[in-house]
Amino acid sequence: MEKRLIKKDALAGIAKKMAEKLHVWAPVKKEDNVLFAPLKKDNEPFFAYLNSKNAPKNVFFPHTETMMKYTRTPNGMVFSSEENKADEAVLFGVRPCDAHSFVLLDKLFDQEKYKDSYYISKRQNTTVISLACVKPPYSSCFCTSVDGEPVSADGADILLTDIGSDYLVEFITSKGEKLASYFGETKADTVAETKKNEIAVKAKDAIKSKIPAHEIKPILDKNFDNPFWNTIHGKCLACGTCTYMCPTCHCFDISDEVKGSDGVRIRSWDSCMFPLFTKETSGHNPRSSQKERWRQRTMHKFKYYVDMFNAIACVGCGRCVMSCPVNIDIRKIVEDISKL
Amino acid sequence: MENIETKLREEASRLLLEKKVDVIIGYEKGTLPLTATPCFITKPEDTEKLVWNNLCTQNLAKYVHDLITQHKNSQKRVKPEDKKKKIIGVVARGCTTRSLIIHLQERQYGRDEVYIIGVPCDGYIDGKGIKVAVGGADIVEGSIDGGQVKMQTSDGDKTVAFRDVLADNCRTCRFNNPIISDVMIGSPAPAMNPDAEYEDVKEFEGKSTEERWAYFTKEMDKCIRCYACRQACPSCYCPTCFVEQSQPQWVGIGEDPSDTQVFQLMRLYHMVGRCVDCGSCISVCPMGVDLRKFLKKIDKDCFEFFGNRAGSSMEDMPPLGKYDEHHDKQDFIFNP
Repeated sequence: MEKRLIKKDALAGIAKKMAEKLHVWAPVKKEDNVLFAPLKKDNEPFFAYLNSKNAPKNVFFPHTETMMKYTRTPNGMVFSSEENKADEAVLFGVRPCDAHSFVLLDKLFDQEKYKDSYYISKRQNTTVISLACVKPPYSSCFCTSVDGEPVSADGADILLTDIGSDYLVEFITSKGEKLASYFGETKADTVAETKKNEIAVKAKDAIKSKIPAHEIKPILDKNFDNPFWNTIHGKCLACGTCTYMCPTCHCFDISDEVKGSDGVRIRSWDSCMFPLFTKETSGHNPRSSQKERWRQRTMHKFKYYVDMFNAIACVGCGRCVMSCPVNIDIRKIVEDISKL
Repeated sequence: MENIETKLREEASRLLLEKKVDVIIGYEKGTLPLTATPCFITKPEDTEKLVWNNLCTQNLAKYVHDLITQHKNSQKRVKPEDKKKKIIGVVARGCTTRSLIIHLQERQYGRDEVYIIGVPCDGYIDGKGIKVAVGGADIVEGSIDGGQVKMQTSDGDKTVAFRDVLADNCRTCRFNNPIISDVMIGSPAPAMNPDAEYEDVKEFEGKSTEERWAYFTKEMDKCIRCYACRQACPSCYCPTCFVEQSQPQWVGIGEDPSDTQVFQLMRLYHMVGRCVDCGSCISVCPMGVDLRKFLKKIDKDCFEFFGNRAGSSMEDMPPLGKYDEHHDKQDFIFNP
């Protein structure tokens, strides 16, 4: 597909111009955090960021989402569906690891057996514009160990790569091409492409943190009861930081909030780290302690997801590594498992 | 601090060898630059892992409570004559001992169930503050040396003064040395600057109700309800937190601002006379919510009205846990 060049300082202007017509999500600086937020008149996009504090999964899979509403009337219950109300949107400037997470989430929310209309409607109406990492944002980044690359179009409709003086704009899908008019007229030549390929190789080499993520699946297959699982969770606080920051964690809870005769059914993020997670009505919890919860988190990412979808449910963004209040490092866990 | 580390390891090793304790909760080096992380040592040879420096952030009293509770639960179905006692050793600085005192005053466990290895403290580095100090760059490597924090970052080498990145609670700490201990490692650390303890609060009190409410709602908007603050807090030990009760359900589980505010307000009120300003909730918060402003306000009120500083001595009982029929002023009930 077509490739173009834009001047580097033009990026914010393009995002803002898009925001006039479309619902644009972009990295925005809020105090000390960079977060993906709707671009409005009163905020500026911030593209000089390493990576956003939390993953942009909330664009497709919000923390809290109304599934339906209901009202009790003298003639019985009246239900109203809330799905398929997504506006046309653009997710502007996500890092390739996060774009990769959308491909992984699609496997679950948009599969043959089960189609999650809430997720799909937002996903289909959103164009993803990736901003390649020309240098690794953090020394704890390990995308290359989990099928990712710092300069990758995986999961993106448009890929932007900083090639020095300009951004190379690559339209990856026809959905991306529909936004071509925003990106000027300058066609990219082969020189720009060669430059980009060189940058991509360099960026890949610069990822120094590596984990044997692909080696541990057969080990996990056989080691559900290994005493190793006693060694991770001791210091775990059982907070939900790792799962809430994670681009691929997708467990949710469904609850009804009722006020008088009106009720709202919402789904909201849940976390396998919470004591309430998988607690049954009887009071019994098959995952009774943090040990079982940590085994679940590790197994889900590196075994169950591979069993189900032939893909590791981790993109190597390192958010859980950096955000964990007590420094439980998934890289070390994977490393340790590989030695079992 | 190296001398203290050596002594700490020796003492820890001795305690385990002599079976004075079953486990020692301390700190070890973290996997990220400029971090230390809680660890549990049960073998004398593993005491080499122990560190004590300005990166040791978490209040370990939380784990003392956790381990004792777990142990007691595991002993529930054991015959009285077969019941085993477990003694937890803990590396404790001033604020950690304050939390232990609160646990003891609230009768969570007996004094003989915890062995306190006291260490002097001159404060820890504010993990989020140091990232701000280097302009949000990635810290690749770092070390603390002679009052300087030296770092290799993605934007080149940077050095900041230790005192500039000291956590706010440490800066104005009143009790940086252990209040109670079974053994004390090293000599007491020099005093911090407690006179400035309530400066932020006084400024906050000077604002109008609207401004204070605006600040509260702005901070609460950042909260993602991961509950890291509650989980890290040694004083938050309810077996089931009210936000997790479902019959009745006290708060919604969604992102509604009022639900988040109710959670945080309830937690704040439960901290009356129980917050030791250890800074754990602030250091673990992934979103940088300024919880300390509100906690310090409660702490100040508690001191001014009841003369109590949480966990500052075994005798000074928490105001909500004592009844004094001769001195309690109850006028406010009749004359609001």
